[in-house]
Amino acid sequence: MRNPEKLILIAMIIISCKKPYDPPVVNSNSNYLVVEGQINTGSDSTVIKLSRTVNISNKFTLNPELDAVVTVESDQNASFQLTGTGGGYYVSAGLNLDNTRKYRLRIKTANEIYHSDFVAVANSPAIDTVSSTFENDGVRFYVSTHDPNNNTHYYRWDYRETWIIHSNYYSFYKSNGDSVIDRNLMNDEVYQCWRSDTASGINIASSSHLHKDVISNNPVTFVSSASEKLSAKYSIVAAQSAPTNSAYSILVRQYALTADAYTFWANLKKNTELLGSIFDAQPSQLKGNIHSETSPPEPVIGYISAGTVTSKRIFIKNQDVPAGWASPPAFSNCKLDTLFLSWYAPGATVPLNQENEYFNYNKGNLYKNRLIPVVAIWNQQLGTIIGHTGSTPECVDCTLRGTNKQPDFWR
Amino acid sequence: MRKTYLISLCFLFFLQTALAQQKNIKLISCNFQQATIAQFAADLESKSSAHFYYDPTQFDSLRVTLQITEQPLESILYAAFKNTNYHYAITSSQQVFITKGRQIKTDLAPGFITIATASNTQTSAVADYTDDKDKNVPDATTENKLYEIGTRTNTIKPGNATLSGYVRDIKSGEAVVGASIYVANTKTGVATDQFGYFTITLPRGRHTLNVRGLGMRDTRRQTVLYNDGKLIIEMQEQVNSLKEVKISADKVANVRSVELGVTRLDIKNIKQIPTAFGETDVLKVILTLPGVTSVGEATTGFNVRGGSADENLILLNGATIYNPAHFFGFFAAFNPDIVKDIELYKSSIPEKFGGRLSSVLEVTNREGNKKIFTGSAGIGLLTSRINVEGPIIKDKTSFIFGARTTYSNWLLNLLPDAYKHSSASFYDVNLDISHQINDKNNIYLSSYISNDKFKLNSDTTYSYSNKSVSLKWKHNYSTKLFSLISGGFDRYQYDINSTANPVNGYDLAFNINQSNFKADFTYYLNNKHTIDFGLNSILYNINPGTFEPLGAQSLVLPQVVAPEQALESALYLGDKYDVSTNFSISAGVRFNIYNYLGPQTVDNYAPNLPREPGNVLDSTAFSKGHIINTYAAPDIRLSARYLLNDNLSVKAGYNTLHQYIHLLSNSTSISPTDVYKLSDPNIKPESGDQVSLGLFQNAKQNTIEMSVEVYYKRLRNYLDYKSGAVLLLNQHIEQDVINTKGKAYGAEFLLKKTAGKLNGWISYTYSRTFLKQDDPNAGELINEGNWYPANYDKPHSFNFTGNYRFTHRYSVSLDVAYSTGRPITLPIAKYEYAGSERVFYSDRNAYRIPDYFRSDFSINIEGNHRVHQKTHNSWTVGVYNLTGRQNAYSTFFTEQSGVISGYKLSIFASPIPFINYNIRF
Repeated sequence: MRNPEKLILIAMIIISCKKPYDPPVVNSNSNYLVVEGQINTGSDSTVIKLSRTVNISNKFTLNPELDAVVTVESDQNASFQLTGTGGGYYVSAGLNLDNTRKYRLRIKTANEIYHSDFVAVANSPAIDTVSSTFENDGVRFYVSTHDPNNNTHYYRWDYRETWIIHSNYYSFYKSNGDSVIDRNLMNDEVYQCWRSDTASGINIASSSHLHKDVISNNPVTFVSSASEKLSAKYSIVAAQSAPTNSAYSILVRQYALTADAYTFWANLKKNTELLGSIFDAQPSQLKGNIHSETSPPEPVIGYISAGTVTSKRIFIKNQDVPAGWASPPAFSNCKLDTLFLSWYAPGATVPLNQENEYFNYNKGNLYKNRLIPVVAIWNQQLGTIIGHTGSTPECVDCTLRGTNKQPDFWR
Repeated sequence: MRKTYLISLCFLFFLQTALAQQKNIKLISCNFQQATIAQFAADLESKSSAHFYYDPTQFDSLRVTLQITEQPLESILYAAFKNTNYHYAITSSQQVFITKGRQIKTDLAPGFITIATASNTQTSAVADYTDDKDKNVPDATTENKLYEIGTRTNTIKPGNATLSGYVRDIKSGEAVVGASIYVANTKTGVATDQFGYFTITLPRGRHTLNVRGLGMRDTRRQTVLYNDGKLIIEMQEQVNSLKEVKISADKVANVRSVELGVTRLDIKNIKQIPTAFGETDVLKVILTLPGVTSVGEATTGFNVRGGSADENLILLNGATIYNPAHFFGFFAAFNPDIVKDIELYKSSIPEKFGGRLSSVLEVTNREGNKKIFTGSAGIGLLTSRINVEGPIIKDKTSFIFGARTTYSNWLLNLLPDAYKHSSASFYDVNLDISHQINDKNNIYLSSYISNDKFKLNSDTTYSYSNKSVSLKWKHNYSTKLFSLISGGFDRYQYDINSTANPVNGYDLAFNINQSNFKADFTYYLNNKHTIDFGLNSILYNINPGTFEPLGAQSLVLPQVVAPEQALESALYLGDKYDVSTNFSISAGVRFNIYNYLGPQTVDNYAPNLPREPGNVLDSTAFSKGHIINTYAAPDIRLSARYLLNDNLSVKAGYNTLHQYIHLLSNSTSISPTDVYKLSDPNIKPESGDQVSLGLFQNAKQNTIEMSVEVYYKRLRNYLDYKSGAVLLLNQHIEQDVINTKGKAYGAEFLLKKTAGKLNGWISYTYSRTFLKQDDPNAGELINEGNWYPANYDKPHSFNFTGNYRFTHRYSVSLDVAYSTGRPITLPIAKYEYAGSERVFYSDRNAYRIPDYFRSDFSINIEGNHRVHQKTHNSWTVGVYNLTGRQNAYSTFFTEQSGVISGYKLSIFASPIPFINYNIRF
């Protein structure tokens, strides 16, 4: 709380109000290069993402810079080229660089050449702990670390969360397009999936004001009790809702920063996340360490650091989640329809195969919005299946929002 | 009353004498209403055979009101001059001699009744016959009384004499500050100083002094000036009037004073302006004046003519107040029950003030009642206050005590759970004592403390406090020379601490201490020259920040930014010179000497290179008391007034100013964590100069005042900050600041109506303020070194403040404010970075937030106006932001769940009703 920006005024909260504001449409033809990523000097891959700014009024933000030539250069003229993998991503396998040298990024686009400044390698010390604290309305995650050499001082974290989601209905059947068949529940279950997301905020901290290079319990993220992220225990499959099963996992990645890089991130955070309270600073210009060689005054957004990244993962088990939290389903307006193989509409003399119309996408043409079969309707007298219940895909198929392949790290 | 008294006297006389004389004496009827001696004599001469003989100079104050039917001449004369210092004598040839003081004996006959003239002293009334003996109306008495000043002489010598004295409140004995004393026949005038003292040089002879004071009933004094002398003028408060808007004490000052851009406001005016929560706010009112704009709603910061908020010197009884706000700016830290008036100087800043670039705001407290114990109390929605005052030694020593506190915690308890453990409290206490040692010596002790404490969710505790104490000694050497010598100590401090995370538990403290010494002399050389001279000195002692561990587990590394010391001194000399009745000049120079003192370690930077860590050549350590460097510069203060006619004048002014203490703040408003920095070898003093020109006109017997002022101002070495500058606990602040230039210009229009049922003012200001940062050594150029509008550049600003009085008990006030929106840096592009959409900002301050508009309304209800009752009470009910307009305090763009959205933050976004109850005892 050393920054006045963090000062929240309660009294102002009561009587003040925050309303959406649409500024006069600012139509600049800005099309500035945005560079994101870190030169990984260790054995992990280096991923650099290139994009371009778009006008504020644009509907989509994504504007990847394709077909650039991206190379990592050392101050001794060694160079390592990255390979474009689409979507503006440029990747190289582990570079295993010499920690005593400085490195920079060189980007050649269709019309221009860009360079970052040469940066020293800042390797991240190991994360000591990632911990969680249950509060009344959610769970908060913290990271703690220290540098035994008292050398790092500036840290940045991001994270990747993964959690189990469940569909509303457990589907035992699927359609192969022509008819409803049994679902292979070993590898085609669509009731339980794993969903992931990455950090959307900037998380930095500094120990420069402390005796020792120690970061203690720096907040990483908060998962609300109302969130689906901790709802795994509500599975209708007993085995899946076992108390010892994991519901949620977070991988925290830690980056070491130089003082200059820290300033950049702090500034970026200040300019885009920490505005709106009474004593906030006015937004300021963002100065990264990448420059255009062709036209030096052109702004380039981004800061390239070099170093290794450390990470740590923790899990939250079903038994840890307090009762009453986060009840699924996520889609509460789900409903089951009953669909028959042979169905007489009122007054009709010819039966209609409702399953063809609703489930079998190669057949029927009455309904465009297909359903997925859930359970069979068994006629005891006939001893046959006369139809299936079905629901919309988002109520049945979790793979629409995640993957039904258990991630390697999951346990 | 008076008339019937005289008539009955006439009648008695008639009974005694008329019968005996009726045979050979002509009977006369007469009817005089305030007749002069000439009219009186001429009328009687025309109706009788008498001839009148008198010396007109002795009778110029005589007014005769008399109605008599069919009486002899002698009866009329007897009735007219009975019980006065005037005498008549009638000779047998019908010659009438009227004399003053002594009677002419027309014959040698003994036993002629002589009327006692024992009361014929220099101060006795001569026109006693108009004297109303009813002492319940003392003002009538004194207004018609002729005061003789100096040793009386038979003939008035030619030349000038000096009249000095005090203007006081007849009820409380308190000085009336800023009362104007205007002499119509010489067209000269003066105003009383902060002690109610005045001195005026006039030609010897007969003068009528017209005295006007803020909130006082106008009065006049008839004087005959024989020699230098003294006069104490007691004025009556306007008890039965509801608050009447008067901006200036002196109705003619608008046109006649030499100063431009000076405004005085009485607490009564301030009290009728509606404010949020109904708390009378001494500072909010100045935002209604032309040339003054608000830093933001719910903040007390203000900008004067393109200056930043820290360029205003705020003085409370002469003590510097660094944070004049409570509750982060919701309330001014001045108790409205104690404050007497405020005066804002935005252009003609007297030589005795210095050290800030834009303005001086002087808040003056009342003196305690010297005659009786009184007090008042007020209850509002968030605060309540009390004040008590009274004599310690009657007519000599008095005290005034005021205290205010909040009970706003109830408001916090209404908040969601997350904020339940928050608390906020503040208080302020004033205690002032004034003592009159004798005619020539007065001493005044003022003390003030304000304190704020705020705790957010049991986490971080913020507190800040102003403290000051001062002692003043006023000494009159003669009627022409007096001095005011004062010493004081002011302190501002804040403290922030948190133990929410034990490992990071910290305590951050900042304080600024200043010891002041001032010696101000005023010398009334003659009626053309008033000379002010003196010496001011301030010793600063700043602890720019200590950051210390709090709690056993804390690993916080103590950080201390080395304390700073400096001595700011100034010698000044100014002369107000009345060249002719139409032309006056006020010219002065203030020579500033600033010494930055050790102990201190100062970094030396390579010349002509940006002040960056890499460019530090070495550093020099200085020992305690060592003068590290000195800045010396003269301030020039000039203003002139030329009277085109009685109601129209043109004025011009030029002034230069220097500022050696800088507020470091890159947020929108002044926040409680801003630090002050003294000028040092790497941070130059700020300087500015301003030229202004104004046209001033009064109309309708000075009840309408109009003015137009234009100004152009330059600022140098104004501090701006590099992007992402760290201001707190920065050991090398010079590396994060940039020197900028500023220019501001504007035109201010003001129309005031000072009397009548409807009164108030309308102001419109057009003003621009630009900054430019083109120092190639700064390392970073803002907007490529071009001029850009300052954060507080609001070109158009309009204000209406009005009060309509239905009866003496009911009045309504309406306040309307409009201004152009503040400049803002808007995002012009967006991109994805670190998992979120983010925005790229335009050039600094290239766009504006929506315009600001607000109207407030209040109804004031006074209790009955019987003077003799134990308590007087009043109610104020009103609505702040009547139209509920959601004015943008700021607009911003921020990422929420990975999507950029624009938001508008509004404070007081809906109509806020308020009620206040005040009681006076």
